[in-house]
Amino acid sequence: MNIKDLNELRGEFEEIQKRNSFMECEDDSCISEEDAREDYPDYLRAIYAEILPPQKSGIYFSRWDLKTMASLLDESFALDTRERMFKTFMQWIATPDDMLAVIGEFKKLIDMKCDMYREYAEKYPASKEIFDVKIKKADKAKKYLDKVYKEFFT
Amino acid sequence: MQEDLKKEQLARVNIYALISRLLMTEVDEDLLKLILKDKNILSFFPVFKDWKKRKGMSNKDLIERYLNVDFTNLLLLHLIPYESFYTREDQMMETGGDNPVQQLYNDFDFRVELDTARVMAGDHIGVELEFMYKLCEAQMKALDDGAEDVVAQIAEIEYNFLKEHLVEWAPLFLLNVKNEAGTAFYFDLANFAIEFILSDFQYLSDLKKNNFKTKEESE
Repeated sequence: MNIKDLNELRGEFEEIQKRNSFMECEDDSCISEEDAREDYPDYLRAIYAEILPPQKSGIYFSRWDLKTMASLLDESFALDTRERMFKTFMQWIATPDDMLAVIGEFKKLIDMKCDMYREYAEKYPASKEIFDVKIKKADKAKKYLDKVYKEFFT
Repeated sequence: MQEDLKKEQLARVNIYALISRLLMTEVDEDLLKLILKDKNILSFFPVFKDWKKRKGMSNKDLIERYLNVDFTNLLLLHLIPYESFYTREDQMMETGGDNPVQQLYNDFDFRVELDTARVMAGDHIGVELEFMYKLCEAQMKALDDGAEDVVAQIAEIEYNFLKEHLVEWAPLFLLNVKNEAGTAFYFDLANFAIEFILSDFQYLSDLKKNNFKTKEESE
């Protein structure tokens, strides 16, 4: 058997595998949650991992926060787990302009919360050090959102 | 001067007890009656005091139709009142032995009955506030006994607990309670709890400058 035969055999084998896999997945039952996630654009995971955790962004985005941000963009979805609501919100994004609008809402909310942090830090100076760290994280989060836009939408 | 200190300490004990209780479980008729009757406590709830929906309604109806619903939405369903969610990068809750406050509770023999408190972990905001209440209570006793060194030691523990735990995350949670509250009662409670935690931290930070000794002791 020469190299050409081997390559042909490999090609045929791959074809059979593809066909089998397609037949087994006709009802989508074989798609795991992890695989399904791959249908989402990567910015979804990026934002969920880097912006949503309060420890990373200094901001708590609650379920109502997500719902309110979406409603300001004329989008509405039911209350669900925080992660699923976030995914639904992100699925609404269809164009770069949509993404810019979403980032705008995130930034507005971040700024609003940071303004409150500043008010408390001014009123209770002992807490300034703690709130300053959160404000710094929030600034980084805003920059990260710009980076996500640049990477995935331009 | 000593009497002023004791009064101040008693107020801290009472306030920690009140906000811990209200953020842990639903308000009941007896407690609501006490809040409405006591001018000092009611002054912490200025919006609720003049809340129109409250007028002409029995406390029982008020609790059943509004306050319990709001408590469930805010503390049980939609917001996350657990420290680990705010301090872990994977935004998960730590319900096991690695909970950030568990070791500290163990050190002070502070036992959390999760079932009774109806919470999932010891880093629930109500439990952390109750821990502060217990510390303040012990400090009050030391003050009564004239044990200044113990008073200072407990103040240092309180300062560290606020700095490393409550001040670090509770304002983030409480700001959302304030924004999302459907009743004047929980709006006021969240507002009051943030202000009190931060003002108490300010008080203890000022004491720290003096090695946690009150002015009278250091003179």
